[in-house]
Amino acid sequence: MATADSISDVLETATQPAASLLVMLAAMPQDQFESALANLVATFSAGSLLIAAQNEYAADRFPDLRIIAAPSTGAAWTATAADFVNAFQFAEREGVRAILMLGPGAGSLSAAALRELANAVLNAAVDLAMPRYALPAHAGLINAAILYPLTRALFATRVRFPQAVDLGLSLRMAEQLAASAQRFTAANQADALIWPVNEAIAAGFTVGEYDVGPRELPQPAEPDVNAMLSLVTGSLFADIEAKAATWQRPRRLPPPRIPVADAPLADGTAEVARMVESFRFAYSNLLEIWSLVLPPNSLLGLKRLSATSTAEFRMPEMLWARIVFDFLVAYRLRTINRGHLLGALIPLYLAWVAGHINTTAAGTGSERHIETVAAAFEADKPYMVSRWRWPDRFNS
Amino acid sequence: MMLNMLAILLQAGSYAAGQPVSADNAPILSHMSEALHQSVDRVLSLLIAVLPGILAFFVALAIFSLIGVVISALLRRILTLFRFDDRMARNRGNVEWTPSSSPTGLAARVSFWACVLLGLTIGVAAFDASYATGAPLPISLLPYFTHAVGAILLLIAGNLIARFLARSVLIGAVNAQLQYARVLSLGVKWLVLVLTAAMVLDHLQVGGDIVELAFGILFGGIVLALALAIGLGSRDLVSRSLESHVERNPAAHNTPSPSQSETIRHF
Repeated sequence: MATADSISDVLETATQPAASLLVMLAAMPQDQFESALANLVATFSAGSLLIAAQNEYAADRFPDLRIIAAPSTGAAWTATAADFVNAFQFAEREGVRAILMLGPGAGSLSAAALRELANAVLNAAVDLAMPRYALPAHAGLINAAILYPLTRALFATRVRFPQAVDLGLSLRMAEQLAASAQRFTAANQADALIWPVNEAIAAGFTVGEYDVGPRELPQPAEPDVNAMLSLVTGSLFADIEAKAATWQRPRRLPPPRIPVADAPLADGTAEVARMVESFRFAYSNLLEIWSLVLPPNSLLGLKRLSATSTAEFRMPEMLWARIVFDFLVAYRLRTINRGHLLGALIPLYLAWVAGHINTTAAGTGSERHIETVAAAFEADKPYMVSRWRWPDRFNS
Repeated sequence: MMLNMLAILLQAGSYAAGQPVSADNAPILSHMSEALHQSVDRVLSLLIAVLPGILAFFVALAIFSLIGVVISALLRRILTLFRFDDRMARNRGNVEWTPSSSPTGLAARVSFWACVLLGLTIGVAAFDASYATGAPLPISLLPYFTHAVGAILLLIAGNLIARFLARSVLIGAVNAQLQYARVLSLGVKWLVLVLTAAMVLDHLQVGGDIVELAFGILFGGIVLALALAIGLGSRDLVSRSLESHVERNPAAHNTPSPSQSETIRHF
C-alpha cells in the first residue's frame, strides 16, 4: 500500500464518531449495491457514515446505516457532472468532513482499500485520493494509451487512473469539482465527464494515489469502442484546452511512490491481426485527413508502420506521443471538425493497442511498456507546448 | 449629341458606299436610325436613372464600413481596458483564448460586420428606390443578378455540406471496416453535389423540366448504386449487427460488451 498508516490506526480513525463521511454510491445493479453496502458495513462504523444511494433499498437489511436517496443521474460507468454537484450539495447540507464516491462494482474493493481512500481525505491532508487498480494485462487500454500519459506529461502527476470510478474528496475539493461541474449542468450537459486530477492540480490541491488492488471495473453502456473513445478523449482534450494556462507552466513530476507491478501476461495476439488490418485499411483511406493534422515526419512513420508485418508491428512511443499531441493541437485549432478528428484517431489508437499487445507478448511487462509510453509523452512535452503556442511551426 | 452623331455617321456611311438611293430605301434607313436612336436612348436613360442608385449603394457601403471600423476599434479598446477577456475566462473556467477567437476580438468583429450589413441593406434599399422610380423600362438582367447571388450561395453551402458528409461517411465506414468506404463516401458526396446543382439550376430558372428529369434519373441512379453496394457488400456486417442487437441483454449494461474480446478491454 502506498500510505504508511497501519491498519489499526485506520480502524481507529474510521470508528471515530467525528469522522463523518458521506459515501456517494453510483447507480448499479441491485446485487452489486447490496454487496457494496455490506462492504461498507464491514469496513466502517455505521455511525460515522452517511450513504447517498440512487438504488432502491430495503431499510430492514441494513438497519444501522443512515441511507438517503440521491437523485438518479443515469451514470452507469463513471461519475458525471451531475454526480459531483449532488455530492457537494449533500456534503454541505449534512455537514460531513469528506466524501467517498464509489462507482458500480464497489463491492469488489477490499476493506483496506476503502479505508485508505477514506482516511486519506479525512486525516492525511489530502484533497483528492485516487485509487490505483491492479487490472489484468490488457484492460483499461484507452487509459493506458491516452489518458494516463497525457495527464502525466501535461499536469505532472503520476495518477495512473485519471478517470477512476472511485474517489476520496475533501470538502474543498468537492466544492471545486462541483463548481466546475455546475458549468456543465447549467448548460444542460449533466452527463459530461469531469477530470478531478486536472481540477486538483489547477487549484493547487494535494493529490494522493493509493494502491487498492484488484477491482471489477464497470464497462460503459455504449458497446461501441469508437463512440466511447471519441467521448472520453474529446472530454479530456476539452479539459486540457480549458486549463492551458496551468499545464504550460513547467512542473516537476513527483517521484514514484507505488512500485510498478506487472500484471500476469494475458494472450491477446489473436486480436492483433484484426487491429493491424484495420490500421492498414485506414492508412489507405484516411491519409488525406491525417495529413491535415499530422506533420510529414509522423506521416512517414505511419507509412513505415503500415508496411510492417503483423508479428513485428509496434507503434514507436515517440511517434504515438507526437500523434496524440498533434491531434490535441488540431482539436484546439479546429483544423477539421472535432467529431471527424476524434474519429480519425481511432485506427491509430487500435494500431497502438496492437503494438502494445505485441510488445507484452515479446516479454516486456505491460505496466513497464505503459510507463515507457508515458515517459515518451513527458519527454516530448516541449514540442506540445511549442505547437500550442505557435501552431504554424508545423515541421518543428 | 452622341446619338445625333451616330445617326449622321450611319447616313453618311450609307451615302459614302456609293449605293444607289432609291425612294424605297430612304424610309427604311430613317426607320432603322430612329429605332437605333430610341433603343440607345432607352438604355442611356435607364443607366442615368440607375446610376444614382448604384452610387448611393457604394457610398452607403463605404460610409457604414468606415463607421464599422471606428466602432470596432473603439469597442476593442474599451473591452481591453476593462479586461473583458480575463473576466470571461474567470467565469468560464480559465479558458485560454487565441487572439483571433478572444471575446474582445469576436465582439469587435461582430460590430464591424453588423455595420457592413447595415450599409449593404441601406445601399440596396436606396438602389431599389431609385431603380423603381427612375427606370422607365424593365430590364431583366438585374433581377437575374439577385438570383445568381442566391445560386452562388447555394453552391457554396452545397459544396460545404457535401465535403462534410463525405468525410463523416468515410471515417465512419473506415472505422466500421466497410471495404467500400471510399466508394460510399464518394457516392454521398456526388449525391449532395447533384442535388445542389439541380437546386442551383432551378434557382436560376435554367433548363426547366429537363433539369428536373435529369436530376431524378441521376439521383435515383446514385441511390440505387449505393443501395446495391451496401446490400451486396455488407451482408455479414448487417447480420452480425442484428445478431448482437438481439442477443444484447438489457440488464447487462455493466458487463463487458460483445464487441470487446475476453482478453482486451478498452475501458
